[in-house]
Amino acid sequence: MNLPIPYADPMPLPAPIWLLRTLLLLTFFLHVIFMNCLFGGITIALVCALRRKGSSFSARLAGDLGRLLPSIFAFTITLGVAPLLFLQVMYGQFLYASSILIGVPWLAIIGIVILAYYGVYFFSMKGEHGMAPVVLALVLLLLASVAFIYSNNFTLMLSPERWLDLYHNGANGWNLNWSEPSLLPRYLHFVLGALGISGLGLAVLGLRQKEDGYRGWLIEQGTFLFTGATLVNFAAGFWFLAKLEGPARLAFVGGNGLGTALLGIGLLLPLAAVAHLVMAKSSKSPNRQLVIGVSCGLLTVAVMVAMRDLLRNFALAPYFSPNQLPVVPQWKIIVLFLVLFGAGLATLYYMLRKVALATMIQAAAAQKLQ
Amino acid sequence: MNYPIWQLGFPGGLLIAAIAVLHVFISHFAVGGGAYLVLTERRAYAHNDSELLGYVRHHSKFFALLTVVLGAVTGVGIWFTIGLVSPEATSSLIHTFVWGWAIEWVFFFVEIAAALIYVYHWDTLDRQPHLIIGWIYFIAAWASLAIINGIITYMLTPGRWLETGKFWDGFFNPTYWPSLCIRTAMAACLAGIFGLVTAMWQPSAVRERVVRWSGWWLALGIASLLPLSRWYFHNLPSYSRAYFSGAFSAPYIAVRHSLRGAAVCAAVALILTLVFALLRPKMMNPVVVAVLLIAGFGVMGSGEYLREFSRYPYVINSYIYANDVRVGQKEGIVANGVAKTSPWVHASANNPQVYGRQLFVVECSSCHSVDGYRAMRRFTRGWDAKFGSEVLLHLPVIRETMPPFAGDANDRAALGSYLVSLAPATPSGENEKELGQHVFTIHCALCHSVGGERRPLDLKGTDADSIAGMLGTLSDINSDMPPFTGTDAEGRALAAFLSNPGK
Repeated sequence: MNLPIPYADPMPLPAPIWLLRTLLLLTFFLHVIFMNCLFGGITIALVCALRRKGSSFSARLAGDLGRLLPSIFAFTITLGVAPLLFLQVMYGQFLYASSILIGVPWLAIIGIVILAYYGVYFFSMKGEHGMAPVVLALVLLLLASVAFIYSNNFTLMLSPERWLDLYHNGANGWNLNWSEPSLLPRYLHFVLGALGISGLGLAVLGLRQKEDGYRGWLIEQGTFLFTGATLVNFAAGFWFLAKLEGPARLAFVGGNGLGTALLGIGLLLPLAAVAHLVMAKSSKSPNRQLVIGVSCGLLTVAVMVAMRDLLRNFALAPYFSPNQLPVVPQWKIIVLFLVLFGAGLATLYYMLRKVALATMIQAAAAQKLQ
Repeated sequence: MNYPIWQLGFPGGLLIAAIAVLHVFISHFAVGGGAYLVLTERRAYAHNDSELLGYVRHHSKFFALLTVVLGAVTGVGIWFTIGLVSPEATSSLIHTFVWGWAIEWVFFFVEIAAALIYVYHWDTLDRQPHLIIGWIYFIAAWASLAIINGIITYMLTPGRWLETGKFWDGFFNPTYWPSLCIRTAMAACLAGIFGLVTAMWQPSAVRERVVRWSGWWLALGIASLLPLSRWYFHNLPSYSRAYFSGAFSAPYIAVRHSLRGAAVCAAVALILTLVFALLRPKMMNPVVVAVLLIAGFGVMGSGEYLREFSRYPYVINSYIYANDVRVGQKEGIVANGVAKTSPWVHASANNPQVYGRQLFVVECSSCHSVDGYRAMRRFTRGWDAKFGSEVLLHLPVIRETMPPFAGDANDRAALGSYLVSLAPATPSGENEKELGQHVFTIHCALCHSVGGERRPLDLKGTDADSIAGMLGTLSDINSDMPPFTGTDAEGRALAAFLSNPGK
């Protein structure tokens, strides 16, 4: 069967594949962490906003999240731009084709994100307003729909065999990838993952608190959220695995060494994270246990990001591999990018350090006054 | 041709324009507004002006809400949209400038981080570090503009890149510097305009000072636009300049209107600024500010429209046509036909119009619709199938904005047949003169006028039989002309009309 796969851009890749893939996975990992904290953070904020009157900790957490969420939203978007860039360089012909086929929902993401972003600012500025829970619920719904559209596009780009039918039945872009068997479990797996990782975010927020009561409560709630979401996510993960196309599924269960190893590690790491987080409460060094638990959770995300990339390569293997593309590295500009990237990180460090120092001085001054 | 076409029912370029104009309006404010914030803050400290400081704190919140949310997300929106509407060109831009985009992303990241810290930490940070972070914001925002400017100007004037294919040749292209200066001046204008917007919410004591201060930004920005625009214009390729100078035969009315519109908007803005901001700041009011906002939007929108228009028939000059067909690919498509080139169309032997409809989508729909924007139905009324096919060989002659048709004879016949089917009509008239005039409208008026400016046909007084004889040899007279495809009676009527158009 002749599939309508567009030819790759005739220009050679301006960097070796390993570099592009490293940057793709690194920036995507960072994006996922922020995105998870955003999605889960809004869910938590919604619960806290509803429980505000009955629980002082909930009210306090709602206030903290109101301050944090706009920045988390900003960095979710900013960190999402880079992986989308590197993805287009390596897999552009697949991504453009599938995006066009679902053009309407794909472009709607922009409007939805703007609305959700302003919703988060509303909560940030008017957290105690009676409408805050309603706004948060809407924001959650909007972001859940963004995630669903992403799941559609990133599965459709792997299925060129469906493209012509979709095009001839709906060239106006009103399509979704409903016939993909793994669509719903994949979506559920990622959404539950986001809730779980935001639990880790709560634990980290707790670790940064000085007041014992609030600190303990945050860590407890975070542990509970991570554990609960992760355990349910095991079921979603297996469902996802079961719904993958034969060759891709087989690759993760013995067919491919790296895929199988990553699946094994990806199963063990979250269990290790849960164990450390749960043990922290009765441990002599709870902070250490918590840090190990959170690290295991973050490593789980890294493994999942790598598995997701492998899945894409397994699915596209019959048609394409970026390794087929000619490469003419633009080393001088790559070096310039790396230098500026380093300078950007240094600038970021400088700014955050200034804020941290100023905050510490203010806190010390306030304590002195008391 | 390589990709499916998103069939919106209207040209996708309109969608790009809508999102892009909104984005550039806010994003230029994001650049100029950064300098405005930090210089206003410094001014407040220097004059020990707590009211001005109160104003700039308030302005910074408005600034963040507008630029960090709407500005940043619509920027991503342009990227989404161009990928949907011109995937071939987007892919090319990404591949040519991936490290440019990556560097721009670094600045974007720093810009967003600095903006959030600047806005959220007025009370936390001391004056000096707060000002430094404001400067970091501005430098990152301007650097981001400077990089995107390289990519946008490359699309119009790729310069030596066409021969060398080298990154820096494309980036520092002939319009890079003038464009960067224009955009910087525009950023200053928008900083001033939005400064006036938030000044309207201030108590009158500080309002007057802010109005005058913002007025200077606006006045200097507008005043520099004219010389900078002339510099930019002189660096345009000659075919782009011809759209503005009227050297082309077709009257590009939209270009003239946009130029005049931009000039009027700039003049109005300058006069209002001088009167209401610099001379009589007490008189500044929300209505004048609203007019200034609209004028600023007018200048920005017209400028972007003219830049885009002057790039026609290309989306990347001399490299990719506006309909996303690569220049280097065209000959192959002419030799092999579209059906063998694009997996998204399939030739229908039984119904050429069905195939023709697909070809219309592939070749024409990036700029034309059937009935809406740049509608084709009104142009094709009365065409016959042969004319419909032949005329496709002469598209760049009809309008310089149009890419040449990429397809073989079978494709031309199918698309011609589809175009003819849009408005079937037989030339008619109550007398030979009227019939002749009608035939002229159908067969000649795409390129010629009688007594007008556009390639005037002055055959008045020439013997009608001689003209009728010429109709059989049009391609010999000028190879840019399609053959006359009307009936003998229509030819005689046309000759009679041209011989004596006045009566």
